[in-house]
Amino acid sequence: MTTTWTAAALSQDVPAGTAAPGRLGDRDLAIWRSASGKIAAWADRCPHRGMRLSHGFVRGEALSCIYHGWRYGQTGQCIKIPAHPGLEPPDAIRVPAFAVAEASGVIWVADGAPATAPPAFEGFTGFRSLQVDAPASVVAEALGGKGDAIRAALGPTPAVALIQPLGPDRSGLHLLAPLSAAPEALDALSVAAEDLRRRAEAGQKGRAA
Amino acid sequence: MRHQWYPVGIAAKLPDSPAESLLLGERVHIGRAKGGGPQVTDAKGRALPVLTRFGHVWTTLGTPERDLFTIPEADQPGRRLVDVGTVRVRCSPLRAVENFLDIAHFPFVHTDILGAEPHTEVERYEVEIREDSDEVWATKVRFFQPQAAKSAGGGITTDYMYRVPAPTCSILYKTSPPRPGEWDVITLFVQPMTEELCQVWPWMALFDDASTMTDMIHFQQMIFVQDRSILENQIPAKLPLDPGLEIPTRADMTSIAYRRWLKRHGYTYGAQLVAA
Repeated sequence: MTTTWTAAALSQDVPAGTAAPGRLGDRDLAIWRSASGKIAAWADRCPHRGMRLSHGFVRGEALSCIYHGWRYGQTGQCIKIPAHPGLEPPDAIRVPAFAVAEASGVIWVADGAPATAPPAFEGFTGFRSLQVDAPASVVAEALGGKGDAIRAALGPTPAVALIQPLGPDRSGLHLLAPLSAAPEALDALSVAAEDLRRRAEAGQKGRAA
Repeated sequence: MRHQWYPVGIAAKLPDSPAESLLLGERVHIGRAKGGGPQVTDAKGRALPVLTRFGHVWTTLGTPERDLFTIPEADQPGRRLVDVGTVRVRCSPLRAVENFLDIAHFPFVHTDILGAEPHTEVERYEVEIREDSDEVWATKVRFFQPQAAKSAGGGITTDYMYRVPAPTCSILYKTSPPRPGEWDVITLFVQPMTEELCQVWPWMALFDDASTMTDMIHFQQMIFVQDRSILENQIPAKLPLDPGLEIPTRADMTSIAYRRWLKRHGYTYGAQLVAA
Protein backbone atom coordinates (compact mmCIF):
# COMPACT_ATOMS: atom_id res chain seq x y z
CA MET A 1 0.00 0.00 0.00
CA THR A 2 1.29 3.45 -0.93
CA THR A 3 1.08 5.74 2.06
CA THR A 4 3.34 8.34 0.52
CA TRP A 5 2.12 11.10 -1.76
CA THR A 6 2.30 10.73 -5.53
CA ALA A 7 2.21 13.76 -7.83
CA ALA A 8 -0.68 12.91 -10.17
CA ALA A 9 -1.51 16.14 -12.00
CA LEU A 10 -1.16 19.89 -11.90
CA SER A 11 -3.89 21.98 -10.27
CA GLN A 12 -4.23 24.17 -13.37
CA ASP A 13 -5.04 21.10 -15.50
CA VAL A 14 -8.16 20.26 -13.47
CA PRO A 15 -10.12 23.53 -13.37
CA ALA A 16 -13.37 23.88 -11.40
CA GLY A 17 -16.22 21.91 -12.93
CA THR A 18 -14.08 19.34 -14.75
CA ALA A 19 -12.87 15.75 -14.43
CA ALA A 20 -9.65 14.23 -15.75
CA PRO A 21 -7.99 10.80 -15.78
CA GLY A 22 -5.01 10.10 -13.51
CA ARG A 23 -2.98 7.24 -12.11
CA LEU A 24 -1.88 6.02 -8.70
CA GLY A 25 0.45 3.06 -9.02
CA ASP A 26 -1.35 0.62 -11.29
CA ARG A 27 -4.78 2.08 -10.59
CA ASP A 28 -6.75 4.44 -12.81
CA LEU A 29 -8.13 7.56 -11.14
CA ALA A 30 -10.81 10.08 -11.87
CA ILE A 31 -9.56 13.42 -10.55
CA TRP A 32 -12.22 16.11 -10.46
CA ARG A 33 -12.89 19.56 -9.06
CA SER A 34 -16.28 20.79 -7.91
CA ALA A 35 -17.80 24.11 -8.89
CA SER A 36 -16.64 25.60 -5.56
CA GLY A 37 -13.09 24.30 -6.14
CA LYS A 38 -12.90 21.14 -4.01
CA ILE A 39 -10.57 18.52 -5.46
CA ALA A 40 -11.20 14.75 -5.26
CA ALA A 41 -9.46 11.60 -6.53
CA TRP A 42 -11.52 8.43 -6.99
CA ALA A 43 -11.30 5.01 -8.58
CA ASP A 44 -12.01 5.63 -12.26
CA ARG A 45 -14.98 3.28 -12.45
CA CYS A 46 -18.70 3.71 -11.89
CA PRO A 47 -19.93 0.82 -9.71
CA HIS A 48 -23.06 0.49 -11.87
CA ARG A 49 -21.74 -0.57 -15.28
CA GLY A 50 -17.98 0.02 -15.03
CA MET A 51 -17.84 3.25 -17.07
CA ARG A 52 -14.82 5.48 -16.49
CA LEU A 53 -15.86 8.36 -14.21
CA SER A 54 -13.11 10.55 -15.67
CA HIS A 55 -15.44 10.88 -18.69
CA GLY A 56 -18.16 12.16 -16.35
CA PHE A 57 -19.55 15.63 -15.83
CA VAL A 58 -19.47 17.94 -12.83
CA ARG A 59 -22.51 19.81 -11.63
CA GLY A 60 -22.15 21.83 -8.47
CA GLU A 61 -20.45 19.70 -5.82
CA ALA A 62 -21.11 16.31 -7.45
CA LEU A 63 -19.62 14.17 -10.22
CA SER A 64 -21.99 12.28 -12.52
CA CYS A 65 -21.21 9.26 -14.66
CA ILE A 66 -21.64 10.01 -18.38
CA TYR A 67 -23.33 6.65 -19.05
CA HIS A 68 -26.49 6.77 -16.91
CA GLY A 69 -25.98 9.98 -14.97
CA TRP A 70 -25.49 8.33 -11.56
CA ARG A 71 -24.44 11.19 -9.30
CA TYR A 72 -21.80 10.96 -6.57
CA GLY A 73 -21.14 13.45 -3.75
CA GLN A 74 -17.78 14.51 -2.33
CA THR A 75 -17.22 11.32 -0.30
CA GLY A 76 -17.91 9.05 -3.28
CA GLN A 77 -21.40 8.15 -2.02
CA CYS A 78 -24.03 7.76 -4.75
CA ILE A 79 -26.67 10.43 -4.19
CA LYS A 80 -28.88 10.09 -7.26
CA ILE A 81 -29.92 7.48 -9.82
CA PRO A 82 -31.76 9.39 -12.58
CA ALA A 83 -33.61 6.28 -13.83
CA HIS A 84 -35.30 6.14 -10.42
CA PRO A 85 -35.69 9.74 -9.24
CA GLY A 86 -37.69 8.77 -6.15
CA LEU A 87 -35.18 6.21 -4.91
CA GLU A 88 -32.64 7.01 -2.22
CA PRO A 89 -29.48 5.20 -3.39
CA PRO A 90 -28.30 2.50 -0.95
CA ASP A 91 -25.17 3.27 1.12
CA ALA A 92 -23.37 0.36 -0.57
CA ILE A 93 -23.17 2.31 -3.84
CA ARG A 94 -19.96 4.20 -3.26
CA VAL A 95 -16.88 4.94 -5.34
CA PRO A 96 -13.56 4.32 -3.52
CA ALA A 97 -11.91 7.67 -2.77
CA PHE A 98 -8.21 8.34 -2.31
CA ALA A 99 -6.43 10.92 -0.19
CA VAL A 100 -5.77 14.09 -2.16
CA ALA A 101 -4.01 17.36 -1.36
CA GLU A 102 -2.69 20.34 -3.29
CA ALA A 103 0.56 22.19 -2.76
CA SER A 104 2.61 24.44 -5.06
CA GLY A 105 0.06 23.92 -7.85
CA VAL A 106 0.42 20.12 -7.76
CA ILE A 107 -2.33 17.58 -7.07
CA TRP A 108 -0.97 14.85 -4.81
CA VAL A 109 -2.76 11.56 -4.23
CA ALA A 110 -2.22 8.66 -1.84
CA ASP A 111 -3.77 5.35 -0.87
CA GLY A 112 -4.35 5.60 2.85
CA ALA A 113 -3.51 8.56 5.06
CA PRO A 114 0.09 9.80 4.74
CA ALA A 115 1.57 11.00 8.03
CA THR A 116 2.76 14.29 6.56
CA ALA A 117 1.50 16.93 4.17
CA PRO A 118 2.78 16.72 0.59
CA PRO A 119 5.95 18.71 -0.10
CA ALA A 120 5.68 22.39 -0.93
CA PHE A 121 8.27 24.09 -3.14
CA GLU A 122 8.60 27.67 -2.01
CA GLY A 123 8.56 30.12 -4.88
CA PHE A 124 7.49 27.51 -7.46
CA THR A 125 4.18 26.53 -8.99
CA GLY A 126 2.88 23.89 -11.40
CA PHE A 127 3.76 24.78 -14.99
CA ARG A 128 3.35 21.82 -17.34
CA SER A 129 2.87 18.03 -17.33
CA LEU A 130 4.32 15.73 -19.99
CA GLN A 131 4.18 12.00 -20.53
CA VAL A 132 7.46 10.30 -21.38
CA ASP A 133 7.84 6.84 -22.93
CA ALA A 134 10.67 5.88 -20.60
CA PRO A 135 10.85 4.55 -17.03
CA ALA A 136 11.16 7.00 -14.13
CA SER A 137 14.82 6.12 -13.53
CA VAL A 138 15.74 7.05 -17.13
CA VAL A 139 13.87 10.36 -16.86
CA ALA A 140 15.67 11.11 -13.59
CA GLU A 141 19.00 10.33 -15.19
CA ALA A 142 18.25 12.63 -18.15
CA LEU A 143 17.59 15.36 -15.58
CA GLY A 144 20.95 14.61 -13.99
CA GLY A 145 19.42 13.54 -10.70
CA LYS A 146 17.88 10.74 -8.67
CA GLY A 147 14.54 10.08 -7.02
CA ASP A 148 11.10 11.45 -7.83
CA ALA A 149 11.60 15.16 -7.04
CA ILE A 150 14.56 16.79 -8.75
CA ARG A 151 15.65 20.40 -8.81
CA ALA A 152 17.27 21.08 -12.14
CA ALA A 153 17.96 23.94 -14.51
CA LEU A 154 16.16 23.23 -17.77
CA GLY A 155 17.74 25.58 -20.28
CA PRO A 156 18.18 28.90 -18.52
CA THR A 157 15.27 28.36 -16.13
CA PRO A 158 15.44 26.69 -12.71
CA ALA A 159 12.69 24.12 -12.28
CA VAL A 160 11.39 21.37 -10.01
CA ALA A 161 10.68 18.09 -11.80
CA LEU A 162 8.30 15.59 -10.18
CA ILE A 163 8.49 12.17 -11.80
CA GLN A 164 5.53 9.80 -11.61
CA PRO A 165 6.02 6.15 -12.64
CA LEU A 166 3.22 5.12 -15.05
CA GLY A 167 4.20 1.51 -15.66
CA PRO A 168 7.48 -0.11 -16.68
CA ASP A 169 8.15 2.10 -19.72
CA ARG A 170 6.20 5.25 -19.09
CA SER A 171 6.43 8.22 -16.74
CA GLY A 172 4.63 11.42 -15.96
CA LEU A 173 6.82 14.49 -15.69
CA HIS A 174 5.24 17.33 -13.73
CA LEU A 175 7.28 20.52 -14.01
CA LEU A 176 7.18 23.44 -11.58
CA ALA A 177 8.50 26.83 -12.62
CA PRO A 178 9.49 29.89 -10.56
CA LEU A 179 6.48 32.06 -9.71
CA SER A 180 8.48 35.04 -10.92
CA ALA A 181 9.44 33.52 -14.30
CA ALA A 182 8.86 35.79 -17.29
CA PRO A 183 6.89 34.44 -20.30
CA GLU A 184 10.11 34.04 -22.32
CA ALA A 185 11.68 31.99 -19.54
CA LEU A 186 8.57 29.73 -19.48
CA ASP A 187 8.74 29.30 -23.25
CA ALA A 188 12.39 28.29 -22.92
CA LEU A 189 11.46 25.85 -20.15
CA SER A 190 8.83 24.25 -22.38
CA VAL A 191 11.33 23.80 -25.22
CA ALA A 192 13.91 22.36 -22.82
CA ALA A 193 11.34 19.96 -21.36
CA GLU A 194 10.45 18.61 -24.81
CA ASP A 195 14.14 18.20 -25.55
CA LEU A 196 14.55 16.31 -22.29
CA ARG A 197 11.68 14.01 -23.26
CA ARG A 198 13.32 13.28 -26.62
CA ARG A 199 16.62 12.47 -24.94
CA ALA A 200 15.00 10.21 -22.35
CA GLU A 201 12.98 8.35 -25.01
CA ALA A 202 16.03 8.00 -27.30
CA GLY A 203 18.10 6.74 -24.38
CA GLN A 204 15.39 4.23 -23.55
CA LYS A 205 15.27 2.97 -27.14
CA GLY A 206 19.09 2.66 -27.13
CA ARG A 207 18.89 0.51 -24.01
CA ALA A 208 16.14 -1.68 -25.39
CA ALA A 209 18.01 -2.28 -28.69
CA MET B 1 -20.95 -20.05 -29.04
CA ARG B 2 -19.08 -21.80 -31.86
CA HIS B 3 -22.35 -23.30 -33.04
CA GLN B 4 -24.10 -19.96 -33.60
CA TRP B 5 -24.63 -17.99 -36.81
CA TYR B 6 -22.77 -14.66 -36.98
CA PRO B 7 -23.01 -11.70 -39.39
CA VAL B 8 -19.84 -11.05 -41.40
CA GLY B 9 -20.89 -8.67 -44.17
CA ILE B 10 -23.61 -6.89 -46.13
CA ALA B 11 -24.96 -9.16 -48.87
CA ALA B 12 -25.27 -6.31 -51.39
CA LYS B 13 -21.73 -5.09 -50.78
CA LEU B 14 -19.53 -8.16 -50.90
CA PRO B 15 -15.93 -7.38 -51.85
CA ASP B 16 -14.62 -8.53 -55.23
CA SER B 17 -11.52 -10.05 -53.69
CA PRO B 18 -11.89 -11.86 -50.35
CA ALA B 19 -11.61 -9.58 -47.31
CA GLU B 20 -9.92 -10.85 -44.17
CA SER B 21 -11.73 -10.67 -40.88
CA LEU B 22 -11.90 -12.39 -37.50
CA LEU B 23 -14.61 -14.56 -36.03
CA LEU B 24 -14.24 -15.81 -32.44
CA GLY B 25 -10.51 -15.14 -32.73
CA GLU B 26 -10.13 -17.19 -35.92
CA ARG B 27 -9.17 -15.78 -39.29
CA VAL B 28 -11.90 -15.89 -41.95
CA HIS B 29 -12.16 -14.53 -45.50
CA ILE B 30 -15.38 -13.08 -46.86
CA GLY B 31 -15.91 -12.82 -50.62
CA ARG B 32 -17.88 -14.18 -53.56
CA ALA B 33 -18.17 -17.70 -54.85
CA LYS B 34 -17.86 -18.42 -58.58
CA GLY B 35 -21.58 -17.98 -59.10
CA GLY B 36 -21.49 -14.55 -57.41
CA GLY B 37 -23.05 -15.62 -54.11
CA PRO B 38 -21.36 -15.14 -50.76
CA GLN B 39 -18.45 -17.34 -49.77
CA VAL B 40 -16.73 -17.47 -46.39
CA THR B 41 -13.62 -19.55 -45.81
CA ASP B 42 -11.75 -20.41 -42.62
CA ALA B 43 -8.02 -20.10 -41.94
CA LYS B 44 -7.36 -23.38 -43.74
CA GLY B 45 -9.28 -22.25 -46.83
CA ARG B 46 -12.26 -24.50 -46.20
CA ALA B 47 -15.68 -23.14 -47.15
CA LEU B 48 -17.87 -22.43 -44.12
CA PRO B 49 -21.67 -22.67 -44.13
CA VAL B 50 -23.27 -19.40 -45.27
CA LEU B 51 -26.74 -17.97 -45.44
CA THR B 52 -28.13 -14.61 -46.41
CA ARG B 53 -30.82 -13.02 -44.27
CA PHE B 54 -31.79 -9.49 -43.15
CA GLY B 55 -29.45 -8.03 -45.79
CA HIS B 56 -26.42 -9.70 -44.23
CA VAL B 57 -24.23 -12.71 -44.86
CA TRP B 58 -24.07 -15.09 -41.91
CA THR B 59 -21.64 -17.87 -41.21
CA THR B 60 -20.64 -20.27 -38.45
CA LEU B 61 -17.49 -22.08 -37.34
CA GLY B 62 -19.52 -24.96 -35.94
CA THR B 63 -22.70 -26.87 -36.66
CA PRO B 64 -25.73 -24.86 -35.51
CA GLU B 65 -28.51 -26.92 -33.98
CA ARG B 66 -31.18 -24.70 -35.47
CA ASP B 67 -31.82 -22.26 -38.26
CA LEU B 68 -31.00 -18.60 -37.79
CA PHE B 69 -33.89 -16.77 -36.10
CA THR B 70 -36.52 -14.95 -38.17
CA ILE B 71 -38.10 -11.51 -37.83
CA PRO B 72 -41.64 -11.93 -39.22
CA GLU B 73 -42.50 -8.22 -38.80
CA ALA B 74 -39.71 -7.26 -41.20
CA ASP B 75 -41.58 -9.01 -44.04
CA GLN B 76 -44.56 -6.64 -43.74
CA PRO B 77 -45.11 -4.66 -46.94
CA GLY B 78 -44.34 -0.96 -46.87
CA ARG B 79 -41.16 -1.20 -44.84
CA ARG B 80 -37.86 0.19 -46.02
CA LEU B 81 -34.94 -2.11 -45.32
CA VAL B 82 -31.79 -0.28 -44.35
CA ASP B 83 -28.27 -1.75 -44.38
CA VAL B 84 -26.73 0.73 -41.97
CA GLY B 85 -23.12 -0.33 -42.50
CA THR B 86 -20.69 -1.27 -39.82
CA VAL B 87 -18.93 0.16 -36.80
CA ARG B 88 -15.91 -1.55 -35.26
CA VAL B 89 -15.87 -1.27 -31.49
CA ARG B 90 -13.03 -2.18 -29.14
CA CYS B 91 -15.29 -3.88 -26.62
CA SER B 92 -16.77 -7.24 -25.72
CA PRO B 93 -19.49 -8.33 -28.18
CA LEU B 94 -21.70 -9.01 -25.16
CA ARG B 95 -21.20 -5.47 -23.80
CA ALA B 96 -22.28 -4.14 -27.21
CA VAL B 97 -25.54 -6.11 -27.02
CA GLU B 98 -26.17 -5.16 -23.40
CA ASN B 99 -25.79 -1.47 -24.23
CA PHE B 100 -28.34 -1.89 -27.03
CA LEU B 101 -30.82 -3.31 -24.48
CA ASP B 102 -30.41 -0.29 -22.19
CA ILE B 103 -32.69 2.73 -22.24
CA ALA B 104 -31.54 4.54 -19.08
CA HIS B 105 -28.49 5.94 -20.91
CA PHE B 106 -30.50 7.76 -23.58
CA PRO B 107 -30.65 11.20 -21.87
CA PHE B 108 -26.89 11.17 -21.15
CA VAL B 109 -25.32 9.50 -24.18
CA HIS B 110 -27.87 10.40 -26.90
CA THR B 111 -28.76 13.77 -25.39
CA ASP B 112 -31.70 15.59 -27.03
CA ILE B 113 -32.15 12.74 -29.52
CA LEU B 114 -33.21 9.52 -27.79
CA GLY B 115 -33.60 11.15 -24.38
CA ALA B 116 -33.25 14.38 -22.43
CA GLU B 117 -33.22 15.50 -18.84
CA PRO B 118 -35.39 15.81 -16.81
CA HIS B 119 -37.16 12.86 -18.52
CA THR B 120 -34.80 10.25 -17.06
CA GLU B 121 -37.17 7.93 -15.23
CA VAL B 122 -37.41 4.32 -16.37
CA GLU B 123 -40.82 2.96 -15.48
CA ARG B 124 -41.31 -0.65 -14.53
CA TYR B 125 -41.45 -2.96 -17.53
CA GLU B 126 -41.71 -6.69 -18.05
CA VAL B 127 -38.88 -9.11 -18.72
CA GLU B 128 -38.98 -12.83 -19.34
CA ILE B 129 -36.92 -15.65 -20.74
CA ARG B 130 -39.37 -17.37 -23.10
CA GLU B 131 -38.85 -21.06 -22.65
CA ASP B 132 -40.49 -22.14 -25.94
CA SER B 133 -38.30 -19.97 -28.16
CA ASP B 134 -35.39 -19.69 -25.71
CA GLU B 135 -35.24 -15.91 -26.15
CA VAL B 136 -34.96 -12.98 -23.77
CA TRP B 137 -37.85 -10.52 -24.13
CA ALA B 138 -38.53 -7.13 -22.53
CA THR B 139 -41.96 -5.65 -23.12
CA LYS B 140 -44.03 -2.61 -22.05
CA VAL B 141 -40.93 -0.43 -22.07
CA ARG B 142 -41.80 3.27 -22.37
CA PHE B 143 -39.53 6.28 -22.63
CA PHE B 144 -39.86 9.94 -23.55
CA GLN B 145 -37.79 10.84 -26.59
CA PRO B 146 -37.09 14.30 -28.07
CA GLN B 147 -36.37 12.80 -31.50
CA ALA B 148 -37.14 9.10 -31.55
CA ALA B 149 -36.20 8.60 -35.20
CA LYS B 150 -35.27 10.56 -38.30
CA SER B 151 -39.00 10.56 -39.09
CA ALA B 152 -40.07 12.02 -35.71
CA GLY B 153 -41.25 15.64 -35.77
CA GLY B 154 -40.91 16.30 -32.06
CA GLY B 155 -40.85 14.71 -28.63
CA ILE B 156 -42.97 11.59 -28.12
CA THR B 157 -43.28 8.83 -25.54
CA THR B 158 -42.00 5.80 -27.37
CA ASP B 159 -43.00 2.20 -26.67
CA TYR B 160 -40.28 -0.39 -26.94
CA MET B 161 -39.90 -4.15 -27.00
CA TYR B 162 -36.55 -5.89 -26.93
CA ARG B 163 -35.75 -9.39 -28.06
CA VAL B 164 -32.51 -11.38 -27.75
CA PRO B 165 -32.73 -14.45 -30.01
CA ALA B 166 -28.98 -15.22 -30.09
CA PRO B 167 -26.09 -14.33 -27.78
CA THR B 168 -24.74 -11.50 -29.98
CA CYS B 169 -27.95 -10.37 -31.68
CA SER B 170 -30.74 -8.16 -30.49
CA ILE B 171 -33.87 -6.75 -32.08
CA LEU B 172 -35.78 -3.77 -30.85
CA TYR B 173 -39.30 -2.91 -31.80
CA LYS B 174 -40.26 0.72 -31.24
CA THR B 175 -43.22 2.95 -32.02
CA SER B 176 -43.03 4.07 -35.63
CA PRO B 177 -43.41 7.89 -35.51
CA PRO B 178 -45.35 8.14 -38.82
CA ARG B 179 -47.45 5.00 -38.05
CA PRO B 180 -48.03 4.91 -34.28
CA GLY B 181 -49.90 1.57 -34.50
CA GLU B 182 -46.90 -0.22 -35.98
CA TRP B 183 -43.45 -1.17 -34.77
CA ASP B 184 -40.25 -0.06 -36.43
CA VAL B 185 -37.66 -2.84 -36.34
CA ILE B 186 -34.06 -1.97 -35.48
CA THR B 187 -31.52 -4.70 -35.00
CA LEU B 188 -28.03 -4.99 -33.68
CA PHE B 189 -26.14 -7.91 -35.17
CA VAL B 190 -22.70 -8.29 -33.63
CA GLN B 191 -19.77 -10.16 -35.15
CA PRO B 192 -17.51 -11.25 -32.27
CA MET B 193 -13.98 -10.78 -33.62
CA THR B 194 -12.25 -11.43 -30.30
CA GLU B 195 -13.48 -11.34 -26.72
CA GLU B 196 -12.71 -7.61 -26.62
CA LEU B 197 -13.25 -6.54 -30.24
CA CYS B 198 -16.37 -6.64 -32.35
CA GLN B 199 -17.91 -5.48 -35.57
CA VAL B 200 -21.44 -4.14 -35.17
CA TRP B 201 -23.86 -4.51 -38.10
CA PRO B 202 -27.10 -2.63 -37.45
CA TRP B 203 -30.03 -3.26 -39.76
CA MET B 204 -33.46 -1.63 -39.87
CA ALA B 205 -36.91 -2.28 -41.32
CA LEU B 206 -38.75 1.03 -40.96
CA PHE B 207 -41.95 2.75 -41.93
CA ASP B 208 -40.53 6.01 -43.23
CA ASP B 209 -41.48 7.40 -46.63
CA ALA B 210 -40.03 10.85 -46.09
CA SER B 211 -36.35 10.42 -45.15
CA THR B 212 -33.68 9.58 -47.68
CA MET B 213 -31.74 6.35 -47.23
CA THR B 214 -28.63 8.42 -46.51
CA ASP B 215 -30.44 10.36 -43.76
CA MET B 216 -31.65 7.17 -42.09
CA ILE B 217 -28.17 5.63 -42.24
CA HIS B 218 -26.50 8.76 -40.87
CA PHE B 219 -28.99 8.99 -38.02
CA GLN B 220 -28.33 5.43 -36.90
CA GLN B 221 -24.56 5.69 -37.37
CA MET B 222 -24.49 8.84 -35.23
CA ILE B 223 -26.27 6.91 -32.47
CA PHE B 224 -23.78 4.03 -32.62
CA VAL B 225 -20.76 6.31 -32.63
CA GLN B 226 -22.11 7.89 -29.43
CA ASP B 227 -22.46 4.42 -27.93
CA ARG B 228 -18.90 3.56 -28.91
CA SER B 229 -17.50 6.30 -26.66
CA ILE B 230 -19.08 4.40 -23.76
CA LEU B 231 -18.34 0.85 -24.86
CA GLU B 232 -14.61 1.44 -25.26
CA ASN B 233 -14.33 2.84 -21.73
CA GLN B 234 -15.98 0.24 -19.52
CA ILE B 235 -13.90 -1.61 -16.95
CA PRO B 236 -13.48 -4.55 -17.15
CA ALA B 237 -13.68 -4.81 -20.94
CA LYS B 238 -15.45 -8.17 -20.64
CA LEU B 239 -19.05 -8.42 -19.44
CA PRO B 240 -19.17 -9.59 -15.80
CA LEU B 241 -21.68 -12.44 -15.55
CA ASP B 242 -21.43 -13.02 -11.83
CA PRO B 243 -23.07 -10.54 -9.47
CA GLY B 244 -20.87 -8.41 -7.25
CA LEU B 245 -18.62 -6.51 -9.61
CA GLU B 246 -21.41 -4.28 -10.92
CA ILE B 247 -24.55 -2.97 -9.22
CA PRO B 248 -27.78 -3.07 -11.24
CA THR B 249 -31.10 -1.39 -10.45
CA ARG B 250 -34.66 -2.05 -11.56
CA ALA B 251 -34.05 -0.23 -14.85
CA ASP B 252 -31.48 -2.94 -15.66
CA MET B 253 -33.92 -5.87 -15.59
CA THR B 254 -33.26 -6.66 -19.26
CA SER B 255 -29.52 -6.67 -18.67
CA ILE B 256 -29.95 -8.92 -15.62
CA ALA B 257 -32.02 -11.42 -17.63
CA TYR B 258 -29.57 -11.29 -20.54
CA ARG B 259 -26.61 -12.02 -18.25
CA ARG B 260 -28.51 -14.86 -16.56
CA TRP B 261 -29.47 -16.35 -19.94
CA LEU B 262 -25.85 -16.11 -21.20
CA LYS B 263 -24.58 -17.84 -18.10
CA ARG B 264 -27.21 -20.56 -18.19
CA HIS B 265 -26.21 -21.46 -21.76
CA GLY B 266 -22.48 -21.08 -21.24
CA TYR B 267 -22.37 -18.20 -23.75
CA THR B 268 -19.23 -16.81 -22.18
CA TYR B 269 -17.11 -15.62 -25.13
CA GLY B 270 -16.55 -11.97 -24.13
CA ALA B 271 -17.71 -12.58 -20.56
CA GLN B 272 -15.85 -12.42 -17.28
CA LEU B 273 -16.61 -15.00 -14.66
CA VAL B 274 -15.40 -14.82 -11.08
CA ALA B 275 -12.32 -16.98 -10.70
CA ALA B 276 -13.26 -20.28 -9.07
